[in-house]
Amino acid sequence: MSPLEKLTFILMGVPTTLAISILSFFLGLAIGLPLAFIRAYGSKPFQILVDAYEKVFRSVPEIVIMLFFYFGFGSHLREPFKNAFFTATFVLGLRSGANQSQIFRGAIRGIGEEQMVAARSLGLSRLQAIVYVMIPQTFIAATPGLGSEYALLVKDSSYAFIIGVLEMMKRADVVRKVTLDTVFPYFAAAFLYILLTFPLSTYLDMWGTRKKKQLGL
Amino acid sequence: MAEIVLECRNLWKIYGKVVAVRDVSLGIKEGEIKVLFGPSGSGKSTLARCLAMLTKPTKGDVFLRGECLTRPGVDLNKARARIGFVFQHIWLFNHLTALGNVMLGLRRVLKMSKEEAEKRARRALREVRMEEWADHYPAQLSGGQQQRVGIARALAMDPEIIILDEPTSSLDPELTGEVIDILRELAKKGTTMLIISHEMLFNREVADEMIFFDEGRIVERGPPDHFFTMPKTDRARRFMERLIKQTARD
Repeated sequence: MSPLEKLTFILMGVPTTLAISILSFFLGLAIGLPLAFIRAYGSKPFQILVDAYEKVFRSVPEIVIMLFFYFGFGSHLREPFKNAFFTATFVLGLRSGANQSQIFRGAIRGIGEEQMVAARSLGLSRLQAIVYVMIPQTFIAATPGLGSEYALLVKDSSYAFIIGVLEMMKRADVVRKVTLDTVFPYFAAAFLYILLTFPLSTYLDMWGTRKKKQLGL
Repeated sequence: MAEIVLECRNLWKIYGKVVAVRDVSLGIKEGEIKVLFGPSGSGKSTLARCLAMLTKPTKGDVFLRGECLTRPGVDLNKARARIGFVFQHIWLFNHLTALGNVMLGLRRVLKMSKEEAEKRARRALREVRMEEWADHYPAQLSGGQQQRVGIARALAMDPEIIILDEPTSSLDPELTGEVIDILRELAKKGTTMLIISHEMLFNREVADEMIFFDEGRIVERGPPDHFFTMPKTDRARRFMERLIKQTARD
């Protein structure tokens, strides 16, 4: 295998790596945003549940959760956990939900109760105030944090290799096994991970910081 | 006799062990302007917020045109939409332009179409002389301009009464004038208002009744001249003396 052939073989894993990262990011968003608002405005029992969820997923290594879902649920429940791609995305999404809940909660706290009171004074319901006043500001305030979260997911998508998903990391490892070249494949993978994470998360960080400053958030 | 728009009867607000408002009864009639004043921490803001049902009173009742708002099952969102509120610290929506701030309630609460809401919002901004600033975000406006947008936001909803909680006290002294001018115009138009204010010249000019508030209760009330000439209670007299000295110094 020439270096170009090796690189091409590894590059073919990029779509899978990106698919896992992006899908789990949005699953994490769908979980994290509501959880953050439940944590901020929900009743006490719900707040405790959210807290427990965050603690579990932020304390247990995702590799443990992934193996548990894939081999544990996979062998007993079979579909959909028998599917390694699904399991990897699902588990990373659950973990990202816990992270994003914290990111959004910080943003909500920063925006403060005043915006809520002002919205309610116009006659908006609590839900309307959340949708039209709190969420837009929460997103802007959370953008830098969400950029880091995306980078984290791209990196952690490499754990999917343990359960056999043919993504970038797995492909680099295959090249190593076939060619016995122990340097180039990992070096190429490392470089590609930088390329996939750094520009976008840096852009989001800059955009969010500028927007926050512009709006005085 | 003019109808009472907003009223509270035997209203109490207690936070833990602190009694912020004790047994206050107060009504504002159609077209009337009442001014509430008194030392900071005396519970004026809390009373204002209870009247607007932004805070639930601990005891007592609030009535909007005779309809009790403190009974269970009342649609408070509807009631709040009929009561305008202007905040001491302004609290514009940071992510929306001046126009967007004024339009939000029109669109989402009064359910107006976009065109209709925009027309009405621009008219409200014109009334506070902020029309040219419609596309600016709050962070791009001065404090006085922000507060004028805050007034437009309340005004656009066409409320039956506007409650203003120290609308100029968070502003730099040179910016209070532009806000006071707007309030003076509202007063001339016969807008029903409850204003918490220590701008004594303004108070004297527009108030139908002034209410001296201290330690959570009404200490003394009467027409403005009453306070400027012969307040009955020691506390009101001392407070007036301090304010007048301060105004003279400014």
